[in-house]
Amino acid sequence: MTRNQKWRAVPSLATFGEPGLVLASSLILLLVCLLGISFGPIHIGFSEIIKSFSGQRKGLTEQDLSVIFDIRLPRVLLAALVGSALATSGAVYQAVFRNPLADPYLLGAAAGAGLGATIAFTNTDRNIYGLLPIFSFCGAIAAVLASFFISGRFFADPSSLVLSGIAIGSFATAVQTYLQQRHSALLRPVYSWILGELTAASWQVVIWSSFYILCSLIIIFSLAKRLDGLLLSDEEAFSLGIDPQKIRIAAISAATLATATAVAASGLIGFVGIVVPHLVRGITHRVTNRQLPVIALTGASFLVLADLGARTLLSPAELPIGVITAFVGAPFFLIVLRRRRVGA
Amino acid sequence: MLEISGLTVAKNQRTILNNLNVNLVGGSWTCLIGPNGAGKTTFLKVLLGVESYLGKVLDAGENVYKNSKRNVAYVPQNPQLPSGISVREYVALGRARLDGWGVEKESSREFIDHILESTGLFGMHDQHVGQLSGGESQRALIARALVQRPRLILLDEPTSALDLHHQIEILNCIESLKAQGVTVVSTMHDITLAAMYADELAILKDGRLLICGPTKDVISSTEIIDAFDNRINVHTLDSGRSVITAKKSEL
Repeated sequence: MTRNQKWRAVPSLATFGEPGLVLASSLILLLVCLLGISFGPIHIGFSEIIKSFSGQRKGLTEQDLSVIFDIRLPRVLLAALVGSALATSGAVYQAVFRNPLADPYLLGAAAGAGLGATIAFTNTDRNIYGLLPIFSFCGAIAAVLASFFISGRFFADPSSLVLSGIAIGSFATAVQTYLQQRHSALLRPVYSWILGELTAASWQVVIWSSFYILCSLIIIFSLAKRLDGLLLSDEEAFSLGIDPQKIRIAAISAATLATATAVAASGLIGFVGIVVPHLVRGITHRVTNRQLPVIALTGASFLVLADLGARTLLSPAELPIGVITAFVGAPFFLIVLRRRRVGA
Repeated sequence: MLEISGLTVAKNQRTILNNLNVNLVGGSWTCLIGPNGAGKTTFLKVLLGVESYLGKVLDAGENVYKNSKRNVAYVPQNPQLPSGISVREYVALGRARLDGWGVEKESSREFIDHILESTGLFGMHDQHVGQLSGGESQRALIARALVQRPRLILLDEPTSALDLHHQIEILNCIESLKAQGVTVVSTMHDITLAAMYADELAILKDGRLLICGPTKDVISSTEIIDAFDNRINVHTLDSGRSVITAKKSEL
């Protein structure tokens, strides 16, 4: 036992258990959402927000109600949905590819969406600008499907799948660049979209994106415990009664649907898919996929906060949200990484 | 009872197992012996049900390929131990088939503790499994297989990373499974240890089964000398136990 005493025991945060962590991250998300609705060019107090939700609208002007329900609430909800989709998808990609650096854009989803969006922008004259989300959604799905089919044997060889994703991504980016060169007026809107934006948040976007994202999350959460089987070799996982190949295909399909929806709704927001899963694992010192709901809730909080920063830091101007996620996320991530290395 | 007839495995135009015909008795320990590349690990993977093959392989009358209903434990030779989960959590993964993924039934807790104790891991159950030494990792793997309460346990070189003390402890632990009716099939490079514990030995070379039978008969056969190209000596001690050594000129 003397020898064991110098070893670091698994830290006590995990003793809260998954339900405790889910509860804590839900409360944090609730608080962050209140902050997101409260702050902006017009400040609305917490009590006013709670009153407006409970139907007691005395003392609240029409303008306040419009700011809460037509502008900020859909935006906060969309940020939460996109954040949870990207964080969960990132964690799923990392589990499936057994690679801590995998992110939701690994199989070409970002480049495919970028190409889809560029095609939509080039056709503004034909009035299909409004179809931008559909174009980017289809672009992302098409790129990932192409990666799968070109790699040939699905997950039989994960490295060839990743390489195929890189090749598809490069090809889509090349076509996108060509289109941008041909239509130089597109550079600015495409670039702004690539950095991510939640300015287009409306109830309509929230409703359709929540349908796809919540469906994907339900599938992923239902697989979460069995995803732990991928911590083992395929043979060991099979001996414990799961088909690792089927789990991988189901998990990646759901994660890709969530990512494509997120990209279609808000552009390319980087860094969330890598930072948030590692942040949660860094704090809880756990790699089990049972904490996917905690990762989803933390991703939601992270993006709501990032969006709050994006629209208040240079108010009344807005920063692209991707700048905030990278600017805040990268140093935070490095601190967690360093703490973990020092701890180990 | 495992019935194997005409078992052939070919990959990339290379025949790994060539027309194997053998029956493995239920509740016994069969040890596969042979030089590297003989096809021992592939044979274990066929029995597990993850390797496609030609021929017939039946476990209690059922086809084994992709048959995930069979409770078969598998201990690989080169394990990938995940970082970030505790030894106890890792060992408890073995209950997934019986209790469900992410569930640990009250009744399983005591059994897991008992297995942790018998494999010498109880004192380190709260530590990260990724921090274990080679021998401790091997014991964690075997502990995970034991908590699975399998009907058939497949072990690929279960003692390769263990010191002598832990080799004996683990082998005794595996041997005790036989009393519970568990069928054990393992590969082992240490033929002396294999001869001490296994009921039956099967000698593989270049994908062919040279001989399979009771340990005493196989150890004194010419096939075992042929399998290793006449590079081993078999000594029989007064106690009747056999000791296998490499020929001095080969060292």
